[in-house]
Amino acid sequence: MQQTFPISDQELEALSTNAVNSVFNTMLNQTAVVQEVIKVDEENYDGGMSVPIDSSEPVIAGTVGFLGNLTGIMYIFMELSLAMDATCELLGLEAEEIGYEDHELVNDAIGELTNMIVGTFKNDLSNKGYECRMTIPSILRGSNFSIEPAEVALRRIYKYDCGGRSFVIDVLMKEEN
Amino acid sequence: MRLKILTVDDSKTVRIIVKKSFKGFDCEITEAQNGVEGLAMAAKVDPDIILLDITMPVMDGVEMLTKLKSDPSLKAIPVIMLTAEAGRENVMKIAKIGVRDYIVKPFKEEVLVDKVSRVVDLRPAGEAEPKQKKIDDPIEVLVVDDKPAIIEQIKQGFSHTPWNVNGVSSTGEAIDFCQKKLPDCIIISLSLPEDAAITLFRIIRSNAKTKYVPLFGLSVKTAVEEQHRAQQAGFSTIIHKPIDFDELENKIGKAVNLDTSGKYFQMADGFMTVRLPKTCNASVVQEVGNYLKEKTSEAVNSGISKIIFDAQEVASLNMDVIKLLLQSMKTCRDLSLSYALAGNAVVRDESKKFEESKDWQFCDSVETAKASL
Repeated sequence: MQQTFPISDQELEALSTNAVNSVFNTMLNQTAVVQEVIKVDEENYDGGMSVPIDSSEPVIAGTVGFLGNLTGIMYIFMELSLAMDATCELLGLEAEEIGYEDHELVNDAIGELTNMIVGTFKNDLSNKGYECRMTIPSILRGSNFSIEPAEVALRRIYKYDCGGRSFVIDVLMKEEN
Repeated sequence: MRLKILTVDDSKTVRIIVKKSFKGFDCEITEAQNGVEGLAMAAKVDPDIILLDITMPVMDGVEMLTKLKSDPSLKAIPVIMLTAEAGRENVMKIAKIGVRDYIVKPFKEEVLVDKVSRVVDLRPAGEAEPKQKKIDDPIEVLVVDDKPAIIEQIKQGFSHTPWNVNGVSSTGEAIDFCQKKLPDCIIISLSLPEDAAITLFRIIRSNAKTKYVPLFGLSVKTAVEEQHRAQQAGFSTIIHKPIDFDELENKIGKAVNLDTSGKYFQMADGFMTVRLPKTCNASVVQEVGNYLKEKTSEAVNSGISKIIFDAQEVASLNMDVIKLLLQSMKTCRDLSLSYALAGNAVVRDESKKFEESKDWQFCDSVETAKASL
């Protein structure tokens, strides 16, 4: 039986976009626009689902969870070249100063961007009366990601365009009784 | 002295952003990755300010802040929290423990610099440190007393100096004054109602901007109880009423680290004159003695080879003064400088009573002394 979720789709998209743009505008001087929204509910859920990111190169995924009245997890997926550009902008460095091999620094930068995005999202939830705590960010690298979530009431995948390049925010959450 | 900023964050990215933000400022950034390292680093480097993340592994920012505030040697270090979690619950919790401010991530570098500069004195890199002030430079003295007559008396007492004496009557006014203009020293009446002097002392000492400003307690000599309480609270210097302005001037000069050599040493027309004041007690003699070597070198380097020791204003010759003059004359002989003494009748008479000075020849004026060389 599907749980009725207390936040509407419209509100959730606004929360996600506000979180993304608050971080992108402040830290990267960029703006992102929603290109596509994929709704995954219990009714149409049929197992693991590939992340809709257009990339022939490795993808980096940052993830932070939140626990409280609302419990869930947010992922940000982006191709490695976009992650490199974001790291350079964030730290005021040139690409040569980082290098594709410096996984640690790029991982850390994407982890921190994810932390800020989820933090903003979580703070907006808090202002709506849903108090929760965040987990420490973690990072995954690879290709052809497929997320097979544990039991959740709601999953929304937002594909954003940022200066002609795309990245994905995947939100999975449920309300705790 | 360079400002020391400690950034405690598990994210290397944030630590790099903090370093980048303060690149153009005269400060030294030290880093720690969690609360445990943060506490150890705080004890080691004694930072002027700590930028502290909340969510960290090993020990989070709230626990580190709690431990920091319960450590007497670290609790005065101001802390600005830097956090992605700005929920009401979090803000209330950290505010209760005692943070100076908090910054919510994401943040602009300018915001970080602005918030830090409100707490500590952040100077652009390459900007010279403030020069040591001289005795004839104007300094700002703040007097906190609810009795206007005392403020007026202190203004009168320092009217012969270029010092600006500013009077306020309450703790609130004193804090407002310090926010607008940092005084060089503060004199606080210990008889302000409701132990306000002690409250003000604590506020001033816990603020990074004012924590090094010299503070003097002002009290009637017989009010032993209030002086005792003030000393227990941390007042190290208490000025007694009625005020001895010579003594107070000396104490302020020392506390503010004023270059007071101009009071005693003058160089002109090929002569250096060492003028000894009326009250030549041990502390004055020590002060003159401290400058003697440096001033004599300065005189020699500017081509001066004649020194006059002017004791015409000295009220009484004591052993401290005799020792100072003996040391000064020896320095002159070592450097082949010629010298002469000028002294009043009392000094001349008293000099005969000491073995060390019985053969000294005093001229009766500086002009005669100069002419004798």
